Amino acid sequence: MGLKDSLLHFYDKKYRLLLVFSILLLVTSIGILGAQYARTGEFVAKGVSLKGGITLTLPAEEGDSHALQSALAQQLHGADLNVRSITEAGQLKAFIIEAADVEQDALVDSLRTQGYAMEEGTYSLELMGSSLGQSFFRQTVTAVILAFLAMAVVVFITFRKLLPSLFVVLAAASDIISTLAVISLLDVRLSTAGIAALLMLIGYSVDTDILLTTKVLKRREGTIFERLVPATRTGMLMSFTSFSATMIAFLFTQSDVVKQIMLILSIGLIFDIIYTWFQNAGILRLYLERKEGGR
Amino acid sequence: MGRLKKFFTSWRIILLLLVVAFMLVAIRPTPGNEGVVIKSVAPNSTAALGGIPNPKPTAPPLTKEVITAINNRPIANIQEYYSFVSSLQPNQTIQVRTNRGLYRLVTQEAYNLIELNETEEILVQEIEDNATINRTVLRPKTLSEPTGVVEDLGLRVDNAPTTNIRKGLDLQGGTRVLLRPAEPADVDTMNTMVDSLKERLNVYGLSDIIVNVVQDRPAFLGEPNRFILVEIAGATEEEVKALLARQGKFEAKIGNVTVFKGGDDVTYVCRTAECSGIDPQRGCGRVQDGWVCGFLFTIALSPGAAQKQAAATRGLGVVSSPSGNYLSEPLRLFLDDQEVDSLNIADDLQGRAVTDIAITGSGAGISEEEAVFNTLDNMKRLQTILITGSLPVKLEIVRTDTISPLLGSQFIRNAWLAGLLALAAVVSILMIAYRRIKIALPIIITGATEIFITLGFYALFGWNLDLAAIAGLIVAVGTGVDDQIVIIEETLRGSREAVYGWKERIKRAFFIILSAYFTVVVAMLPLLFAGAGLLRGFAITTIIGVTVGVLLTRPAYAKMIQILYED
Repeated sequence: MGLKDSLLHFYDKKYRLLLVFSILLLVTSIGILGAQYARTGEFVAKGVSLKGGITLTLPAEEGDSHALQSALAQQLHGADLNVRSITEAGQLKAFIIEAADVEQDALVDSLRTQGYAMEEGTYSLELMGSSLGQSFFRQTVTAVILAFLAMAVVVFITFRKLLPSLFVVLAAASDIISTLAVISLLDVRLSTAGIAALLMLIGYSVDTDILLTTKVLKRREGTIFERLVPATRTGMLMSFTSFSATMIAFLFTQSDVVKQIMLILSIGLIFDIIYTWFQNAGILRLYLERKEGGR
Repeated sequence: MGRLKKFFTSWRIILLLLVVAFMLVAIRPTPGNEGVVIKSVAPNSTAALGGIPNPKPTAPPLTKEVITAINNRPIANIQEYYSFVSSLQPNQTIQVRTNRGLYRLVTQEAYNLIELNETEEILVQEIEDNATINRTVLRPKTLSEPTGVVEDLGLRVDNAPTTNIRKGLDLQGGTRVLLRPAEPADVDTMNTMVDSLKERLNVYGLSDIIVNVVQDRPAFLGEPNRFILVEIAGATEEEVKALLARQGKFEAKIGNVTVFKGGDDVTYVCRTAECSGIDPQRGCGRVQDGWVCGFLFTIALSPGAAQKQAAATRGLGVVSSPSGNYLSEPLRLFLDDQEVDSLNIADDLQGRAVTDIAITGSGAGISEEEAVFNTLDNMKRLQTILITGSLPVKLEIVRTDTISPLLGSQFIRNAWLAGLLALAAVVSILMIAYRRIKIALPIIITGATEIFITLGFYALFGWNLDLAAIAGLIVAVGTGVDDQIVIIEETLRGSREAVYGWKERIKRAFFIILSAYFTVVVAMLPLLFAGAGLLRGFAITTIIGVTVGVLLTRPAYAKMIQILYED
């Protein structure tokens, strides 16, 4: 028996185990987000575009983001600072400095003492009012909830069956929750662009679930497992091609906006494989086997 | 029927090719375009005096004037332009060749205005109690000192564009400011303020500027928060803030005497149909080579301003003209000390303190419709100037972004690199999975077509392509590749197991594709508004990209696969 056959055999016989694994993963993710909330008061750290403050993009060829952050923190007391480096294929291109509770001039002066020329036009600066940031955050959260509900409506219209549609919605929700958990573990500060990526993730995540449900629920040829296998192959190929594109874009882009979008999509696509082919496929099999008596 | 013939007789493929051809015209890719494009011309600068016109901000990139040579030396890019300009001396005549013609500019010497420690007396005329009185005031004496350096030509330039796609602020550098009214304002008030701001900023010769009202949700979901978004390419934060901080000082003068100022003196400017529009008495008429229309609107002056007006006009002569009798001096309008318009004063207003006065003017055009349009446009501009002095609601800056032009051009190069590498990764995976170039290649071609058509929409509608939009493009193509994989799997793979015909297989593939399509679109809709529309580019490219995919490229791709494999 080759590797492929033994994998298929495992997928066929141990689907309950895989389902349990995916549910444990979801529970763990909820636990991580809960712990984060208990510790910091928010599920995911927000960047300045969602809470107000300054984002300064400073081109640099060498240096260390941690060293710069601690140097700045010593000079700017009480400021909420975060320094990240932007690299292209491992080569440093720029520092991104996010700062709240500090004046723009103080930050620029402080960078000057660190040996950066800070000439006008050589760096980019975004300034976001804090009340506006908070209202943007509320709006984008509302946008995610609206998008999710709209997606659920489309799924119900597509399948016109309550439980299978709910499974699809559950898979999409699990995908977003686990992605957020990883984001919060990686200490990424969520920006408005990141929220756009979460919305897109709804779309990316649901298309494999729709593929699965259509093939298994609406087709009648063969056993459930025989219908499931080609769907899994198609779906995996879809996820891998998308993942390779988003991962490469993540590694090579210099833009902070694009980088966060691609990071969130890459993480989400990995979870999508688990939640579509372990969770959604598992529940759907259980549901159909009970309904059709194992056929 | 040969395969090639089938290819070009399928209406799905023909339609796709037609759309691609149409977008080619819209985008007009012209690689290797050399020279520097004129983005704006500062008023009263060397370039403006030499007759170089200030381009319209709404003009498509490729229609803007491009400098190709100076003094017969070719100028290929901004580096060459700046190195030439830095070698200029004062009072030098240079010949600037553009794609439209030849301009002769005479460089000027820059002067420094030095405030001395002394004061001088100057004579000013003021009107008080119906009489013009001369009064002397003291002010610091100034001295202009030649610097020996040449004054800036007053041109804002960039490398010549190679397509008709406008680059967003984060790709070309500049400043973006989001303004919020201090108190909630309705759409009309916001639009009035946008017009005022545009008029004000135009006085400074900034033509490469976008002023828009943005709102954070569609109006049918309840009263939205409205903001004014000002984007000025190539400007620094200080410049923009300084411009916005100016009061937009409006003055109307007769001769050298100020008769009224913006704000308190003009109490009302009529902009409704009852007392503004095409002048019912003059209407429109034919002239030698076109049409001319007259407009009329009324304004109300404060009693004080009316008195001043009466005093200032008392001593003037009367000039007769075919369209009526006018006073010998016009009423000249100034915005921040720059003359923006002048109006003739009807003789019946002479020496009378009238608070309600009618302002008339005209506009011309080749056809009657064009004349009416231009006339109303002139009227609107004049009304805007008259109310500019006082913005109806105070605005506060809630967000500013300044993007370095260096980073912007780096982002574009980098986006191409990332895009190409991502494409290479997708091709490799497809080759590993199918081991047939005949399957992988059409997927890549379709993906490239989708990107091209989506960019075509940007060129067509004059939207700005920003980084979020580029990210949306990559994401939309990703879903496109996914859909094509579904088509392949449903058609080629399915053929082994089932006996369904092509039609049924493609129908099955499209059921999945359409459901996935609708979920993406509904998920993106809220993003058109959230965050004052700053992420609209992402939502728009994604929605257009997937729609183009579902309506155009996917059907064509399915047909291609069918032609290649159906036997």
